Amino acid sequence: MTEHKASIISWFRFDRKGLGFFAYSMHRFSGVVIVFYLYLHYAVLSNLLRGQATFDAVVRAAAYGPYGIFIVMDVLLTVVIFYHGANGVRLMLNEMGLGLAHHKALFFVLEAGAMALMLLFLYYAWQAVLSGSGL
Amino acid sequence: MEDARKRSYGTRDRFTTVKWFLQASSGMFLVFFMAVHLYVAHINGGSPIELFDSIVRNLSNPWWLAFFLVFVWIITYHALNGVKGIVYDMGVSRRMKRYVSYTFIGIYLATVVYGTILALIVASTVSA
Repeated sequence: MTEHKASIISWFRFDRKGLGFFAYSMHRFSGVVIVFYLYLHYAVLSNLLRGQATFDAVVRAAAYGPYGIFIVMDVLLTVVIFYHGANGVRLMLNEMGLGLAHHKALFFVLEAGAMALMLLFLYYAWQAVLSGSGL
Repeated sequence: MEDARKRSYGTRDRFTTVKWFLQASSGMFLVFFMAVHLYVAHINGGSPIELFDSIVRNLSNPWWLAFFLVFVWIITYHALNGVKGIVYDMGVSRRMKRYVSYTFIGIYLATVVYGTILALIVASTVSA
């Protein structure tokens, strides 16, 4: 079996590599982003031990941030999570031999479905943000 | 269909296939867990500043506590196994792969033990 080296920079060299490579690269990139966020999430949740006042202050700062910039980052994170999930489903279906002949179409269908669900989620999550921010 | 399956599994040994199956099946669980988590935490949980009450209320329910513990164990496994795969693909030697594997097992155990203790402490504080 041949070993292949894949540097992180090579994930972003999309020229003439096709949709499959783009999906592969973005799956890995989104995975790394989610892992980073996962540990950040654990760190924020650790503040539960410091009581409600501290936890609420931390979450309020983490939810909105200066000029609401963290909300923008949360939206980007949501895109990453939904992309990763939909592509993961496609990979599993392909590995089971399903949809291999139409894997590009499957990619677009699943990603479009995931993005539609994401917009629905963001709409309802935004209502919750508005109700707490006094915006 | 049969040809496609052979193409998918043909170059893998049994152990690699088991590891792939664990990664894929944990990913499928996470689609469900993540959907529930996003709904509970960001829609049903109300505004972000009400999250403390929402979290402690959920963790005081043994079923939700079990749900979140399993969620932490599975998502941490899936995440660290994915990162380990990326590190392996960077061309590390067979010997180095063993050390990388032990390192990730250590990080996994530390994370899930910490996450479990954190959840149990919060749950017991509420119910006390």
